[in-house]
Amino acid sequence: MELELTKEQSWISESVDTLLSREWVAPADIISASAERQRRTWTALVEFGALGIGDEGELGAVELCLIARALGSHLASVPFLGSAAVRLALAPQARSLPAGMGALVSGQDAIGIAVLEAGSGWTAERAGTRLARGSDGLEIRGEKVTIEQLAAAGQLAVVATLDGEPAVAVTPADAAGLTRRPQRCFDETVLMGTARFDAVPVPGGSVLGGPEARTVLRRLMTAGSLLAAAEAVGAAGHILDLACRYAGQRRQFGRTIGSFQALRHILADAYVRQESGWSAVRYAAAALDDGDPEAARAASIAKAYVSRGAREVAHSAMQVFGGIAFTAEHPAHRFLRRISVRAQQFGDAAHHERRLGRELAERAARSRAGGTA
Amino acid sequence: MAHRERLPRDEARLRDEARAFLAENVPSAADLPRSLDARIEALRGWQARCYRAGYVGRAWPREFGGGGRPPVEQIVVDQELAAAGAPEFVNVVGLDVLGPSLLRFGTERQRQRHIGAILDATQIWCQGFSEPEAGSDLASLRTRAVLKDGHFVLSGQKTWVSWGQFARWCGVLARTEGPGRPRHQGISMLIVDMDSPGVDVRPMTQITGHAEFCELFFDDVLVPEENLLSNRGDGWKIAMYTLGHERGTAALPRQVKLRTWLDRLAAALGDRALDGRALLDDPGAQIALAQAMIGIEVLRYHAQRTVGDFLSGGAVGPESSSVKLLMAEAEQRLAATAVELLGPAMEQADPAEHDEDAFWEETYLYSRAASVYGGTRQIQRNIIADRVLALPQE
Repeated sequence: MELELTKEQSWISESVDTLLSREWVAPADIISASAERQRRTWTALVEFGALGIGDEGELGAVELCLIARALGSHLASVPFLGSAAVRLALAPQARSLPAGMGALVSGQDAIGIAVLEAGSGWTAERAGTRLARGSDGLEIRGEKVTIEQLAAAGQLAVVATLDGEPAVAVTPADAAGLTRRPQRCFDETVLMGTARFDAVPVPGGSVLGGPEARTVLRRLMTAGSLLAAAEAVGAAGHILDLACRYAGQRRQFGRTIGSFQALRHILADAYVRQESGWSAVRYAAAALDDGDPEAARAASIAKAYVSRGAREVAHSAMQVFGGIAFTAEHPAHRFLRRISVRAQQFGDAAHHERRLGRELAERAARSRAGGTA
Repeated sequence: MAHRERLPRDEARLRDEARAFLAENVPSAADLPRSLDARIEALRGWQARCYRAGYVGRAWPREFGGGGRPPVEQIVVDQELAAAGAPEFVNVVGLDVLGPSLLRFGTERQRQRHIGAILDATQIWCQGFSEPEAGSDLASLRTRAVLKDGHFVLSGQKTWVSWGQFARWCGVLARTEGPGRPRHQGISMLIVDMDSPGVDVRPMTQITGHAEFCELFFDDVLVPEENLLSNRGDGWKIAMYTLGHERGTAALPRQVKLRTWLDRLAAALGDRALDGRALLDDPGAQIALAQAMIGIEVLRYHAQRTVGDFLSGGAVGPESSSVKLLMAEAEQRLAATAVELLGPAMEQADPAEHDEDAFWEETYLYSRAASVYGGTRQIQRNIIADRVLALPQE
């Protein structure tokens, strides 16, 4: 059931689903999907137009979230999240961006997002990685961790500081002085990596600083939150489907287990969590596309809600599967792992709740001040 | 309605008009009399004033006194009423439950006779559905009506009848068919004149201290055959229609009301201090407040997404059950959060804060009913399991 999507949006959603059914593997097999299979799936997605963002393309946040949801449902292992989030963050300013960044939006490179550093959270304000002036212009120095799909990325968007202020730099992933290493991850199929920057030179056209950088970074966090949440909703929807199907077939005590009220209610609650999670993502994505000033807040709400909710859905599904879900070959843990990673990226539920709570308190304080003035 | 609240120009104008009207006219809590009888009279007047201004029954057919406008306009107005803190319309049962059923299933004569009086609150309606032995299992109801000489002879007992003591009419579900029929098909809906001999109304005091509920006793009450709504045996179908209608459309104004309460809670937390610090400055309180806010916002997003179906003329589907579950969850979380966060300060019982404390205590107590009335949380889960997930029947 898909309420309130345009014909074109439904078409995108169904097409990506069909594409992934053809190119990608079943959830139970994702661990054995070859690098070649990953490349092929990514190429097919790019050819389909999944990066058609900004001036050239027609995809907005709603469409990109539909694609992310389908990727989550199939547990695809492709560099979409970073590639889409960076483009979505830059697209509104594409014309006024430095040349190198403008080209990034309209190009077809896979992009990795380098925000986190050892011990840092998802605030892009205080990066230890610096842009410093070297003999030939600016150079990146520092170390970034937990960069998704680092090995597949052609370009990296690096959050750094320039003269003590937040900045974003873009560099080819194979630049001189850049050392990439795979990093362990709870979901090994998202292919995390660390990158050390030893005076990696960046041309002036690939650096954004000042107020523009702050705007782009805020938008990057909003877009990343939404796409991560959309993927988690997709993964939650699929594991819920599998659990419902299983409950309709598995028999114990001479009955189909889906006829036990205890399980019916677990699944009904999971359904509500999953569907309402999508409503939240969908609303925030539409707000972002409209340039609504409340979009960042709506994205925080969606990310906080889905980060808890999608995990809850996976837990519920595993309870319905029972023992079988605890075998490595069963796909349940693959969904749980993917959902857990998406729950963390761009801020977990607690991160967004703290922020929303602070804003609420500030707003209440302002209206008090206004009321007594 | 678009997925988000980008209102078309007409609806934006309507919203602004309603907002201006309400800013001038909404009675404050202090304006309303304390005594219940006088209060009900004042509330009748309030509904009538809103009706004359075009804000009640706006989407109901013109020929019966409605506004004949698209359903989305009533939702726009209802959200403004909630935002302005307007008192609930005294004929809420007529407007939300029986009126829509009369419009859908009633005869021309029934509609001509009743719809106008529902809209301007000259005649208040109540619903006689639940019984002491038929709560969630509504189809097991025992109130009987036997047709004899052109009248149904009605006997039995109903409970949880909102505003029964002020109602002139009651929509009563009664068993009219013999035991040969499946139990869901043996029920009919009768329109009962509360002034009839044999009707006894007994108000019940609720945990909030109010007495808005009643028990009804019918002792061989004569109901003219023409007061049957639709056909004999259609009662269950009508009841499901009305409950779905209530679930499907109530959420949008409700979430607006909840947002005003959230703001009120944030203000109260800013006003009160514990050990020299404003309650609102506590990071734990801020997170709890954010979690309550998330529940309310997600209710809004989900209700907006699902109400589209209804507004485009469709029936209210099983999706209304997920909205109902989220609505109860959001309201209960907010109310429980309020009592938990204000709790220590409420215990100090500062007389200046008495009214605010009483509001939150009452809101908390009443919030516990949100997962019971209109079909319990468990019934909603069953509906989803059966009709959305198509799980095997129990």
